[in-house]
Amino acid sequence: MKFLKIFTKAAICVAVSTGFLSLSADAQKTTKLTDPEIASVAVTANQIDIDYAKIAEKKSQNADVIKFAQTMAKDHQSVIDQAVALVTKLGVTPKTNATTKSFLAGAAKTRAMLNSKKGNAFNKAYIDNEVAYHKAAINEVETVLIPDATNAELKSLLQSAVPLFKAHLAHAEMVQKQFSK
Amino acid sequence: MRNSLRVFRNSVVFLCTLFLLNGCSSPDNNKAKDETVKEKTSQTTDTVVLKQMQFIPAILNVKIGDTVVWINKDLVDHDITSDKDKAFYSDTLHVGKIWKMVVKDSAAYHCSIHPTMKGEIVVK
Repeated sequence: MKFLKIFTKAAICVAVSTGFLSLSADAQKTTKLTDPEIASVAVTANQIDIDYAKIAEKKSQNADVIKFAQTMAKDHQSVIDQAVALVTKLGVTPKTNATTKSFLAGAAKTRAMLNSKKGNAFNKAYIDNEVAYHKAAINEVETVLIPDATNAELKSLLQSAVPLFKAHLAHAEMVQKQFSK
Repeated sequence: MRNSLRVFRNSVVFLCTLFLLNGCSSPDNNKAKDETVKEKTSQTTDTVVLKQMQFIPAILNVKIGDTVVWINKDLVDHDITSDKDKAFYSDTLHVGKIWKMVVKDSAAYHCSIHPTMKGEIVVK
């Protein structure tokens, strides 16, 4: 019994320290993003959610899911339009980078997963992904993109997008409730 | 004799009528005008700004007859939809656009595109 307790404590210690080690390793790998790279990440992240929304609009029969997807498609397009207008004004060309590639790779897998589902299983998968995706996006914007942005207007646009993404997350969680019963 | 009496009587009636009209209607008309001016100046225009996914202020104290103007200064389109009985609906309020409404009663409202956005007009 005592052995079991020691084993459990040791396992927790290993798991936690491994987690911290992998986090610090990731942090060491991450270099500061430039404004053209931030623009690329921002546009890509918004476009990915538009693509998920298009799948939902095509496959779902649920009115709440369809309405949510329509809002995502319109709102994220609006953010892209404003980001493109800003980088055009600033003369910045979005530059593909490791973060953009990582987002795109994850999105390809998610689209394949969504396309393989039907009916309520699809609705649940779509809305669960929206909750997770918006949480990850908010974290990325708040902890990486905003701190790394050097241009004041780009920083301001990113800051003003945070309340929008948080409202999307709250909306997604509202819709999610009907599929968690 | 009869003719001159008739002319005299008609003149008296005319003068009395003129006197009455002048004496009675003029102060009332002025009073009415004053009240109209007072009413107009007491009605105000209040503004609600749509910004960062919020109605600012979220609760607006108004008087019946006041005009409320909603201005969309956000990143995305919104609308103003009454919570009850479809009492009012702004239609899609695009970025940079405004919508006005004369207040008839207290009302809770929301954005039907973003259901977490809520506001309220309170008649005092």
